[in-house]
Amino acid sequence: MSQSGTAGVSRRLRLLLTVSTILIVVFLIRLIDFQIVRAEAISELSYENRAVSRTVEAIRGDILDSNGNVLATSVYRYDINAAPANVKPVERVIDGVSQLISVESIALDLAALLQEDVAVLMTKLTGTTNYVNLKKRVDADTHRRIMDLEIPWIFSDAHQNRLYPNGAVAGNLIGFVDVDGQALAGIERQYNSCLAGVDGKESFETGVDGVRIPSTAMVTQEVQHGRDVVLTIDSGLQYQAQQVLAGEVERLSADWAAAVVIEVKTGRIVLAAEAPSVDPNDPGKSAEQERGARVFQFAYEPGSTMKAITAATAIDTGYATVNTQVTAPSSLKVFDHVINDSYVHAPERWTLTGVLRFSSNVGTIKIAESIPAETRHAYMEAFGFGTPTAVGFEGETRGVLNPYQEWDGVTNFTTMFGQALSVSPVQMTSAYQTLANEGVRISPSLVAGCQDDRGNLDPIATSTPTQVVSAATANDVMHMLEKVVEQGGIGKATAVRGYRSAGKTGTAEIKEGSGYGDYYAASFFGMAPVDNPQYAMGVVIYKPKRVWTNSMAAAAGYQKILSNVLLANRVQPSSGTSMDLPNKW
Amino acid sequence: MKPVIRRTRASSPVVMILVLGFVGISLLHLLLTIATSQSVYELADLKREKRELDTSSQILAEQVLSLSSNQNLYSTASRLGMVVNTNPVFLRLNDQAILGEPRPAAGTTIQSTNLVANSVMIVESTQLNQETVPASSSEPTQIPSESQTSSSIIPLSPTR
Repeated sequence: MSQSGTAGVSRRLRLLLTVSTILIVVFLIRLIDFQIVRAEAISELSYENRAVSRTVEAIRGDILDSNGNVLATSVYRYDINAAPANVKPVERVIDGVSQLISVESIALDLAALLQEDVAVLMTKLTGTTNYVNLKKRVDADTHRRIMDLEIPWIFSDAHQNRLYPNGAVAGNLIGFVDVDGQALAGIERQYNSCLAGVDGKESFETGVDGVRIPSTAMVTQEVQHGRDVVLTIDSGLQYQAQQVLAGEVERLSADWAAAVVIEVKTGRIVLAAEAPSVDPNDPGKSAEQERGARVFQFAYEPGSTMKAITAATAIDTGYATVNTQVTAPSSLKVFDHVINDSYVHAPERWTLTGVLRFSSNVGTIKIAESIPAETRHAYMEAFGFGTPTAVGFEGETRGVLNPYQEWDGVTNFTTMFGQALSVSPVQMTSAYQTLANEGVRISPSLVAGCQDDRGNLDPIATSTPTQVVSAATANDVMHMLEKVVEQGGIGKATAVRGYRSAGKTGTAEIKEGSGYGDYYAASFFGMAPVDNPQYAMGVVIYKPKRVWTNSMAAAAGYQKILSNVLLANRVQPSSGTSMDLPNKW
Repeated sequence: MKPVIRRTRASSPVVMILVLGFVGISLLHLLLTIATSQSVYELADLKREKRELDTSSQILAEQVLSLSSNQNLYSTASRLGMVVNTNPVFLRLNDQAILGEPRPAAGTTIQSTNLVANSVMIVESTQLNQETVPASSSEPTQIPSESQTSSSIIPLSPTR
């Protein structure tokens, strides 16, 4: 190699070295910039792009009946949306051949699945927006079928929704939630703290394809799903009772009807039915007054069913026995007011048993007129009147039981046969539970407890049983009431073959303005079997307008429901006969 | 010169081991990364499958609940011509006493009309046949825990 050639190589080498050095320095500066100067900012930006943080929705607990049947549960529903700006035919491979499916054809498929009008859908799908809702809250099955169509411009949002698989069965008790899942009424609202869980929070990182990067998941708050509320009711019996009541409302052209059954030994409510009743799946379909629980929230003047309480008070205080004799005309003037029996009769020589058997207002006054008002008021309170039950149902009425000092002369008498005071159907059934349970009142319960996912039940505290009247008094009254069923014209219609039962009719006038209207609250309350009381029960038919307007209106429903309860619970048929209690002297 | 030669001989294996170790660890790391990446996609697929199964489970559970609703049972019993036996008879075991009066269940057919509303009632399963109902499908249903991401095919609403 010549000297000039060697010099040229050396020069090129130097040039290369110089360029390389410059490049290395530039890269080094850039590297220092990325790695040191802006390292934190770049790292943060990168993390923001791949980090995802989300709320893990707590699932609301179920509402179960006493047998574990689901009355309310949580499911997912889906809003089906579209992006009109992206609407275009979709390419599909059918039998190995690629075909273009027109928008009209897709709309027809969607319309069939969503049960919407195709013209309406086409209108919604036309436009330049990126969002239009096609249908709200479709079920998972429909959602999946739409998903299977693989339409790129259709998307969906999932929402937790409440499902009541038995519809209106116990709808009056369960209540309902709004579209956002907020509890609005009934057990849903009262036990929201048990049913509602606590949402969780978690964060994780994803790759560019949206797949989670392992070991980046971090739970910042553990999700706590809601627990289940276990009711005391039997949904099968509740359903049968609602069927019966709905039939009776129709037959009698009544405003509404209600029935309550309470276990005598425990105070547990077996059913608290009414008709009409709200279907919590669609509360908007029911009138406002039908969305609540009349059995707890409605107070009415009970009428003659209160006479059993007056009789118990008279016997327990020593003012009467089952054979106490009175002479009762069909009307009686007290102060400036005339009190009549339900029918005109000559003066009758009735025992207390006869007074109850013939449901005499005058006879009741003659039996109880010597009892101080204060004493009778105290007994009424002890039977649970004037106070909401231990259930504490949302909006539960306490009824009206004015202080005895406010009773005027007439009121003092009318309260003896259930006027000038008001009670709820549950309160009155609870009073009959007391009489059936040897005088021991157990305030009714509707909720057994709050149960976790392992089945551990956190029971609801129950009130302490109280001895309201002596066992002898309670049994005396029950045996007198057995005569109502055994001999009474209406009472006989409530009898269940094979069982001894007891009860009392009630045909209560309904206040309208300052007086009473033309219609009645027909009722029948009682207990069965008399030889081993298991259930206390009541039926109220409000304003029956045809067939029967008196307490006979309640008899058929009472008989059917009591029969269902006794048979379903395999209660042993009665043995023995009723006590020999004369009606007259 | 001897000490220099001895030092070179002693450090060569160490360097070799370090280099080989580094290469080995790098390879292992590479393999683990590949395996993990693969598993991530498998995991994502499995989660997607779980969501689908959870949805199937929910659909089935809803149908079971509806088909076993009181209204459905009542209607079915009515269709079958079942009657209510209003004549209970019991046999008391301790003394073999017969309680009640045995009679045929001659009650009228139960009322066929449902008077208790149920706007979500279905009367037959629309979802699955025997082939698609696995034996384990009777287990309690859990709501899909990740249903916020409702499907792999339908993207979530951009408004969320």
